Amino acid sequence: MALTTPHAYRRPGFWRRLRTGNPTEAQLGLILLIPAALVLALVMFWPIAQVLWQSLHFERLNVPARGRPFIGFEHYQRMLWGSDMTWDARHLLGWRLLAFAGAAGLWWGAARGVLRRPTALIWTVIVVLVAGLWMGYHPGEAGRWNDARFWNAFSITLLITVASVAGSFLVGLPLALLANVESRWRWLVRIALLIPWAMPRVLVGVMFAWLFNYTNGVVNDLLGRAGIAGPLWLSRAEPAMWAANITIVWATSAFVGLILLAGLQSIDESLYEAAMVDGASRLQRFWAITLPLLRPSIAVALIFRTLTAIQTFDIPYAMTQGGPGRALETLGIYVSNTTNSLNLGYAAALAVALFVMSLAITVLYLRWIYADD
Amino acid sequence: MRVAVVVGTALLVINGTFPLVWMMLTSLKDENELIRVPITYWPEAITFQNYVQVFDQLPFARFMLNSAVVSISATVICVLVAALAGYALGRLNMPYRRTLLTGIVMTSMFPALVLLVPLYRMFLGMDVPLLSPLVAFLHDVGMTFMPTEVRTPNLLNTYWALIIPYVALSLPIATLILTSFFQLIPRDLESAALVDGCTRVEALFKVIAPVSAPGVVTAAIIIFVNSWNEFLLALTFNTAQTMRTVPVGITMYQGEFAFPWATISAAITVGVLPLVALILLFQQKIIAGLTAGGVKG
Repeated sequence: MALTTPHAYRRPGFWRRLRTGNPTEAQLGLILLIPAALVLALVMFWPIAQVLWQSLHFERLNVPARGRPFIGFEHYQRMLWGSDMTWDARHLLGWRLLAFAGAAGLWWGAARGVLRRPTALIWTVIVVLVAGLWMGYHPGEAGRWNDARFWNAFSITLLITVASVAGSFLVGLPLALLANVESRWRWLVRIALLIPWAMPRVLVGVMFAWLFNYTNGVVNDLLGRAGIAGPLWLSRAEPAMWAANITIVWATSAFVGLILLAGLQSIDESLYEAAMVDGASRLQRFWAITLPLLRPSIAVALIFRTLTAIQTFDIPYAMTQGGPGRALETLGIYVSNTTNSLNLGYAAALAVALFVMSLAITVLYLRWIYADD
Repeated sequence: MRVAVVVGTALLVINGTFPLVWMMLTSLKDENELIRVPITYWPEAITFQNYVQVFDQLPFARFMLNSAVVSISATVICVLVAALAGYALGRLNMPYRRTLLTGIVMTSMFPALVLLVPLYRMFLGMDVPLLSPLVAFLHDVGMTFMPTEVRTPNLLNTYWALIIPYVALSLPIATLILTSFFQLIPRDLESAALVDGCTRVEALFKVIAPVSAPGVVTAAIIIFVNSWNEFLLALTFNTAQTMRTVPVGITMYQGEFAFPWATISAAITVGVLPLVALILLFQQKIIAGLTAGGVKG
């Protein structure tokens, strides 16, 4: 109260600061973020909201007479448990409610601190699986209880994800270690790492389809020279899976290598010198210094790789269009095929499944990364 | 160890370049040589007939033009938007900026496949919220001089149908790269300008913009490559022959049963030329950008 000036200084208000071209940092920041927010809202968030909404509707563009009625979760039911279940739904409803109650109980317990969250998660998975099997749900098996094509696509996506992520790490780590060596040929190494990254994925698929060609492909020629009869790579299910995975690993291991290379370059050289003074062998140094310090880079590469692997579309599509049969029909290709057959409602539900999978994996990874901080 | 490194490096280089080199070699062979068994590694008689075929069978020059227009426009728009956002997130003292950055980067994890159907509907033309019902109502109550309905324009088979999603798809990674570049610029540089009487906006354009040019180039290259390579959306949105982009166009050479490998390989060689040129010119910048995106995570 001691100091009351007659004409108190008023800080210029929001609009005045804007008008005079001298906004505060926070104001300026918000203004500069507007274009990005608009773009993301228009092209990312709005479409995702639409897909969620669409997946609750029936819509087949080739059956325009039925319009676009709201059908609730029927698409998901068809996806996970099969479409011809409706006649039996009442019978199964009890079991389902029981399973749901069990899971709810577990999570209630977890919230009250009776059991730990990871334990609750594991038990939930067990309850869902047991209840599902009890009700006749067998993933990946042609049966009346499920959309076998979805589970086929699901397991293929899972297989490609696990195989190609592991593969790209097994190839990418040596690539990074080699690229980290000082030499006159470093520019060539850089180019060799960048070409697989920069090639359009579709064209990589086309290129490798030619390399894996049965009669005129390089792979079979080299195998033939080694005395091995090369398989019909792209017309048998199992070799096609191998071929697709090899192609994906080729296309993505370079990117993994680049990220790991950045991690390698940020490791302090003096650590190695200290270890050398202590008499650590090359392998020991690798295990004790390189791998632990590389963990953040490995985590980042792992996230990017897993998420792109779940969305695998271009390479199998270019190589065999999801064939032979449906041996390479990933979830991505299934979504695209369903869209092309004009069943937009079900395609949206499948897309949501894909979205939920990538979201779940992102969250898991983020928790893993931030667990140490 | 020395030998192992040399052999390993040689393998690395062969692994990285062989498929592309093989495509180039294939494109120089004639059709008969291609189907011969055993295969020849070096073309016996070099022919450029396949390259002529590429431009004869389909309007490949047009594909290149389309890809160039779409990719360059997407790059320019995306760099502008991302630079503004990156400046805000990297330099300005604003609340929740780490959260905002994480949020923006997280959107890059949305599968492009999910966007396919809703964007198709959007570009097909749709009702504008508020405006469309209003116009329909006014028309119903007798104001017949007005248009019957208001819809967004049909953007399918235009460049915009690809530019808009490409900007959005590359925005997260571009923002990440530019944010980390802006963070590297010393704060004193800007403070000095502010002391000298610049406003914040002036400081942005006169001081920060010139210094951040390398970061912008890096981001631009990565956006360009992403946009040049995109396949799914281009395949779905632009179905007219004259609006195809290069990756989609190349898949159009294959017939129902026949794979004209000679033509396809020539088309691939031409189609990736811009990318190879970019790699040769800017290899260090690209790596810096990719790893800036990677390490920050």
